[in-house]
Amino acid sequence: MSGGKGAKMAGGRGTRLFIVPMAMVAVLFVAIPLCYVLVISFMTRGDNSTIQAIFTAENYRRLLDPNYARVFLNSMLLALWTTLLALLLGYPFGYCMARANRRWRALLMLLVIVPFWTNALVRLYGWKILLQANGPVNAVLQALGLIDQPLRMVGSYGSVLLAMVYCLIPFMILPCHSAVDKMDWSCVEAARDLGAKPWYAFLTVTLPLTLPGISAGCVLVFVPSLGLFFVSDLMGGSLMLVGNLIRDQLLKSRDWPFGAALSVLLMAVTVLIFGLYRRSGGKDLGVF
Amino acid sequence: MKKLLSVLLALSMLAALPLLSSAEEEKVLNIFSWDGYVDYASVIQPFEQQTGIKVNYAPFSTNDEMFKKLQENGASEYDLVIASDYILNTARLEGLMLPLDKEQLPNFANLDERFISQYFDPDNEYVVPYMSGIPLIVYNPDMVQIEIDGFEDLWDPSLADSIGLIDDARVSIGMVLLSMGQSMNTTDDAVLAQAKEKLFALRENIHVLEYENLHNSLISGDISVAYTFTPYVALALDANPNLQVVWPKEGLGFGIDGAFIPANAPHPDNAHTFLNYLLDGQVAAVTAEWQYYCTPNAAAQEFLSDAYKNNPVFNGIYDRFGDAEYVMNLGADESKFQDIWTEFKLLF
Repeated sequence: MSGGKGAKMAGGRGTRLFIVPMAMVAVLFVAIPLCYVLVISFMTRGDNSTIQAIFTAENYRRLLDPNYARVFLNSMLLALWTTLLALLLGYPFGYCMARANRRWRALLMLLVIVPFWTNALVRLYGWKILLQANGPVNAVLQALGLIDQPLRMVGSYGSVLLAMVYCLIPFMILPCHSAVDKMDWSCVEAARDLGAKPWYAFLTVTLPLTLPGISAGCVLVFVPSLGLFFVSDLMGGSLMLVGNLIRDQLLKSRDWPFGAALSVLLMAVTVLIFGLYRRSGGKDLGVF
Repeated sequence: MKKLLSVLLALSMLAALPLLSSAEEEKVLNIFSWDGYVDYASVIQPFEQQTGIKVNYAPFSTNDEMFKKLQENGASEYDLVIASDYILNTARLEGLMLPLDKEQLPNFANLDERFISQYFDPDNEYVVPYMSGIPLIVYNPDMVQIEIDGFEDLWDPSLADSIGLIDDARVSIGMVLLSMGQSMNTTDDAVLAQAKEKLFALRENIHVLEYENLHNSLISGDISVAYTFTPYVALALDANPNLQVVWPKEGLGFGIDGAFIPANAPHPDNAHTFLNYLLDGQVAAVTAEWQYYCTPNAAAQEFLSDAYKNNPVFNGIYDRFGDAEYVMNLGADESKFQDIWTEFKLLF
């Protein structure tokens, strides 16, 4: 993620050669496909997923249909909730991790990293089994007498949100942790010496100083949230998100040009978010 | 990240090399179908042992992906393709199929004649039917107060928040159209507008939309009624024999997956040998029980287990052929269905 810094330090002529393969990969596998998507988004659909080379702006005009706007709004809303919850849970976790002693810190870090060793699909199926009507969570709630009938949690908006936060929270925890870790604690001590209560010191010193970590975490959670439609599908959320819409246009309607136009719009939104982030002073995430 | 990606790509290219080089050898058969749609251990491996023909299995994820690939390589890379009815029709009309040599297929006579001469191959020149399926309603009578015998019952107010439906515009809007006595393939805007209204009225009763594995939600009790594909209905019934299967009185969606030899297949003789092997009654029985679909093979009947034969999911079609309708390829009009479905899913 800190590729930007490394590239700047490597200034010699010899080392510059090393960038060539990287640049080739970028052009071949990033730039060309993106141009391809952009070009076909201005073409006309043929039958059976084919594309006719007839220029049209119709695909973009169709984006104005309020239903497609609602789909984007739906995705934004889910991404927003995901980011908010990830922040509320991830920041305290990152904070505690940074303040813990070395042994605890290693253990907590391990807990954050270990789930990545298992495929996300498998972990989400695990959640589904936990939450289903005859699953352990319902069994415990019933045994405690808290509910009579099993709760139908799978497929609810809450279950989708839970799965989204679960998938993405490491991307919030890690930047928050590193921000708290690198913070100059003497500032907090100074505030405390001058009579600030712990909460006041946190709000006026710690929080502003760790804001770069928070905003990096938010971007890292929000942007992937926009694309993670498979989480909703797996949890039975039945939601119509941008990802579903693009997939359906490609595979069901067999309308590749319109699918491409939707993809271009999604990329534009992503670029806009990164742009706003960088303009507001966010640090390089190695994405741009 | 980019480096990792390039390494992965290089690796995947390396992995594809043996496939390419072995295509030039003699005793080779290249199959192109969905992942796992022909079982290796019970079907392909015995074939390899009997004939010495090495089978390469290349998977595709959608019918359209298969079609595009065949168009791009001039139908020359694969020897045998298994895909769905509507795309079989398109491939036939595009001239991507090699006519079958019936002399090499004595077992073709094993097919139940009700499954042949279908619209995708009216004269049985190109396609060997492989599997057949019908989406059905299956419900848990312990959790449902009414008796369900058709699609119309799904709108009953007592089923609030308890139905699982297939997350597919054509199948599920098709179901609504059938309930209205209309064709699943209508493109009439007025009829579709009515269907849309009726579909929206079903929202309150639907708990989940899922394309695959809907039986899990039925077994766990998260839903009490499901409208889902053949194998999932059968799997649900296996897990809970108390479940009721409904052959909707208003009509049925129906589908056949079939095999064909691409026009410029490199090993057409091997492909015929394999097709004849698939058509063998015993092999067809093994395949049907493994894939959990209805078999179009009449000779398979004597080799099928009682459990399979007595399962209403697999034998009900024999009484209902006249009520079954294919989902056809509607070209640009597919979007009419997708747009309704998109708007419907926005209610969730």
